[in-house]
Amino acid sequence: MAFAIGLIFALIIGALLLSISGDPVFDTYQRMWDRSFGTADTLSATFNRAVPLALAGLAVSVAATMGLWNIGAEGQILFGATAATLVGRIGADWPGPVLIVAMLLGAAVGGALWSFGPGLARAEIGVSEIITTLMLNEVALRLIRYLQNGAWKDPEGFGFPQVEARPDQAQLGQIWERAHLGVIIALVVIAAFAWFLNRSVWGYELKIAGSSPKTATYAGISMRRKTLGVMLLSGAIAGFAGGIELTGTASRLSENISNGFGFAGIIVAALALMRPSGVALVAVAFSAVQVGGLSIQTLGVSPAVSAILQALILFGAIGAAVLSTYQIRLVDRKVAA
Amino acid sequence: MIFAGITISEAAVIGLFVASIQFATLLYLAALGETIAERAGVLNLGVEGMMAMGAVAGYIGGAASGSPWVGLLVGTAAGAAISVVHAVAAVGLGADQVVSGLALTILGLGLADFIGDDYTDDPRRALFAEVDIPGLSDIKWVGDVLFSASPVTYLAGVLGIVTWFVFNRTSLGLGLRAVGQSASTADAAGHSVVAMRMGAVITGGALAGMSGAYLSTFVVGAWSVGVTAGRGWIAVALVIFGAWRPGRVALGALLFGFTLALQLRLQPFGISFSPILVSMLPYLLTMGVLIVISYRARNQPSPSPAGLGIAYRREER
Repeated sequence: MAFAIGLIFALIIGALLLSISGDPVFDTYQRMWDRSFGTADTLSATFNRAVPLALAGLAVSVAATMGLWNIGAEGQILFGATAATLVGRIGADWPGPVLIVAMLLGAAVGGALWSFGPGLARAEIGVSEIITTLMLNEVALRLIRYLQNGAWKDPEGFGFPQVEARPDQAQLGQIWERAHLGVIIALVVIAAFAWFLNRSVWGYELKIAGSSPKTATYAGISMRRKTLGVMLLSGAIAGFAGGIELTGTASRLSENISNGFGFAGIIVAALALMRPSGVALVAVAFSAVQVGGLSIQTLGVSPAVSAILQALILFGAIGAAVLSTYQIRLVDRKVAA
Repeated sequence: MIFAGITISEAAVIGLFVASIQFATLLYLAALGETIAERAGVLNLGVEGMMAMGAVAGYIGGAASGSPWVGLLVGTAAGAAISVVHAVAAVGLGADQVVSGLALTILGLGLADFIGDDYTDDPRRALFAEVDIPGLSDIKWVGDVLFSASPVTYLAGVLGIVTWFVFNRTSLGLGLRAVGQSASTADAAGHSVVAMRMGAVITGGALAGMSGAYLSTFVVGAWSVGVTAGRGWIAVALVIFGAWRPGRVALGALLFGFTLALQLRLQPFGISFSPILVSMLPYLLTMGVLIVISYRARNQPSPSPAGLGIAYRREER
């Protein structure tokens, strides 16, 4: 509900901005809709882009179950894709299915590695995971920049700094129009985690640890192991998203392989109220705004409109959520009186 | 001069330190703003976005008026204006500071690109000139580096001293720190938590905006998409590196400014070490320092404001 109000708020403010700068409001929104949901072709592209957004959102919400902030999904996606690229270089002549599975596993391990330091530092000496994960985003970005200028530079890139293309056979198959297998994989992963967090003992312990560390300690739950475990898991999911991007949408590792998915994933998770089930739906909506935003350039409208709308959806939803809690409380007090 | 087998020219060394001071100024303004907000208990991860707003507004203000000072002023105002969003969401409505701050970064970067769309190839320039401090600028080496800088560098130094003074020698500063340590106690003592925190966030936004404007009226001298290049995140890191104290943050800014300058100015020294690896240094240093602070803090109180990141809702007191 808050999301719907946030969306309306964003569209209204967005319309104001567009008209101030002299851009056609209706045409812009019409184009964004057509190019994201309009046809089977565009809808399938929207689904593809929703995959990394949803997985990043899932990564953030898994950590949030225990009250931890993984701001490093962006870096974990990047390093996950880097690790998958490494696997692809090793297994360049392996058969497609084997290579894809190995690359996706490599991506998950890479993502977990990237969140290991922050997780350990948080678990052992209480270092804020917000800052450490944030810092590692920038490090991962520069690592890719380093590789594409050096060890992994494409010899066929005409001197242009880019990483060699991944093996051709490591391409996830198409399932419908442009949508690739990653869409199904992401749905399965999300469903598995929704079940895992809500139905398993580990997930239950996680929630206790998140809501009351003291209770958890009394119940014999090791906060240190849970903290490290959940950060590794969160990093693995984000890294996995990097692997899906590499084998599904992209053909090579690059600095832009995570188009800010890690940051948008935090907004997605917040809008989904940190629930895995909601993450998928919000991710599709955000993906549509992003895919639609790329299409308005031909109208002469800045594609930055997309980022503005995404942020405004969140701020609108924050306002709506707060205002609605106030209303409910007022009624409660009257009844109590 | 030959050092460790490498020939180093005097000009290259001075150039390196001049660039260090420029980047230090850029980082210090934004980090000082973030320090003020965090001392009041509000984490603002929107620095990168506020800086971008300052950069685009600073460029437009300068280009339109022909004066870099107008640019600096407009950029500062733009940073303050966009930070109101975080002030309202995170302080006024009690939203999560992490989420609201990150959304502010996305909003600021997007809005800056949107506004700056027509200005990317604009040839107009309104740039600050270096100002020599009489007498001091003639000192060999030191004068070139420290006393022949842009006026914004001197301004950043003055603002740092003012901030230190307000924090430690005025009742306003005491109140601000109290609000950051324990909002409910400060509230009981008669301080308006909401007003103090909003004021701190907006002051921080103004300084981040000034930092961005300095980028487009001096360091880079123009506006382009992505001109902030992740330096806002370094400013956030600096605050922790400097243990939330204006003086130490200044030292950190000099160190981080030096590493930023190294990336650009390594080639004249004929060193083959990758500038890209050097560019990872500020982030790795911050992580290292953070771990050391936290390790020590097991036995002594942490330098971090106790109420940092915790929303204050008066009715839930």
